[in-house]
Amino acid sequence: MKVSYYPGCSLESTGKPYNDSTRQVCDALGVELLEVPDWVCCGSSPALKMNGLLSASLSGVNLALLEKQDLTDVVAPCPFCYRRLLSAQDDMAQDAELKEKVQEAIEADLAGNLKIHNLVELLREKVGLAAIADRLVKPLAGLKVVPFYGCYMVKPRQVTHCADPEDPTALDEILVALGAEVLDWDFKTECCGAGLSLSKTETVIELSGRLVREAAHRGADAIVVACQLCQANLDLRQGQIGKKDKKKYHLPIIYFTQLMGLAFGLAPAALGLKHHLVDPVGLLKKKGLIE
Amino acid sequence: MNRLTGAAAEKDFLTQVIEKSGQNLLECLQCGKCSGGCPISSEEVGGPRRLIAEILYGMKDEALKDPTWWYCVSCGTCMTRCPVEINMYRVATVLCEMAEHEKVKPCEPDIHLFEELFLKSVEQYGRAKELKVVMNFNMRTLRPFKDLSQGLSLMLKGAIDPKEMFHKSPKDKRIARIFSRVKEKEARG
Repeated sequence: MKVSYYPGCSLESTGKPYNDSTRQVCDALGVELLEVPDWVCCGSSPALKMNGLLSASLSGVNLALLEKQDLTDVVAPCPFCYRRLLSAQDDMAQDAELKEKVQEAIEADLAGNLKIHNLVELLREKVGLAAIADRLVKPLAGLKVVPFYGCYMVKPRQVTHCADPEDPTALDEILVALGAEVLDWDFKTECCGAGLSLSKTETVIELSGRLVREAAHRGADAIVVACQLCQANLDLRQGQIGKKDKKKYHLPIIYFTQLMGLAFGLAPAALGLKHHLVDPVGLLKKKGLIE
Repeated sequence: MNRLTGAAAEKDFLTQVIEKSGQNLLECLQCGKCSGGCPISSEEVGGPRRLIAEILYGMKDEALKDPTWWYCVSCGTCMTRCPVEINMYRVATVLCEMAEHEKVKPCEPDIHLFEELFLKSVEQYGRAKELKVVMNFNMRTLRPFKDLSQGLSLMLKGAIDPKEMFHKSPKDKRIARIFSRVKEKEARG
């Protein structure tokens, strides 16, 4: 299966382990990721907040480049990039005036015929649990995890078309297929504080704190994420959350693709597991998943 | 208590927000499900229900100075739970554009600064250079050592490359051109 790949800015920088592990896992599953040449930033939340036409136009540039690749299916691991691409294409399909403005701004025409996937959905639906289970060489037995979807992959329902944005299950199912023990919790799609990380750090400590506290209360060994912004907030702010609670939390925040890589027997060093602030290596060694 | 006086300005503001955002705020039931689920609602930050009420009452000054839309991270929880499916982050965009157009001083200067620096990076390089944005933000807010310990740990782990902060990235003229074409279009209305 050939799929257009849109990594996005974070995956070139702070989210590099997500990029690296995604590429390796897709390769192992026979999904050929073809990175869209010359892609640009989707504008992320700043463009979406400050300038609607600019935000649509930046996604428009990417959609035009993706259409040129002529592969139909597109995957963006970053949930915000995913939602922007999807939303821009849908908005232009419904609003001819917006489409015309964007086409003029980007000096290109858009067909609007791409199938845009987030990574969890692509692996759960297009690749499937059977193919994932087939590739399994080292089941994640005894690893207790809570799956964290965050917001942008599933909400708002009207934009993502997620069947159940309050209680999605695709990531749970992938983790179960890998042999992990998936714990039930209520905070699957709560907000981590997202882009307020720098400008309103206190808010992020409060919001990410609720997640860390609950995951610890449930007895999780780790929180599994599918978003580099969730990863960064939960990982980088865990020390400050602990200080506030007068506790020492040690909950590694691991990308689901890193766990897939481990379960597929890929070399741990190439999955970026040493790049997290809350070190997951000790835990994974204890569980016999890393030598 | 704020009462509607029927003044044209009250109606104008409401109509503009509805037209530009494509969200029919007149359908709002003021049920409060949005603010109940909103991650950034608090005593200080009113939340979406109160913001909609301000718009419905034509309280333009209050709405343009409401911190809610600055704090909004477009998580989409409110729209997901709203019985009439109002998309609040579309409303946030319209209020932000109006506030900028009318030169209303941002009531949340830190959020504004971060978002501006981020977009500046995109305008220059075509992609956001995250570490440069972080460094610029900390310098401009006079907190150069904010999050230093996390940053240093990540550097030691090899997770981030400090060279990225100072490295001269190539400019992307394509995107600067799109920024200026969008600005031209807006100037023409």
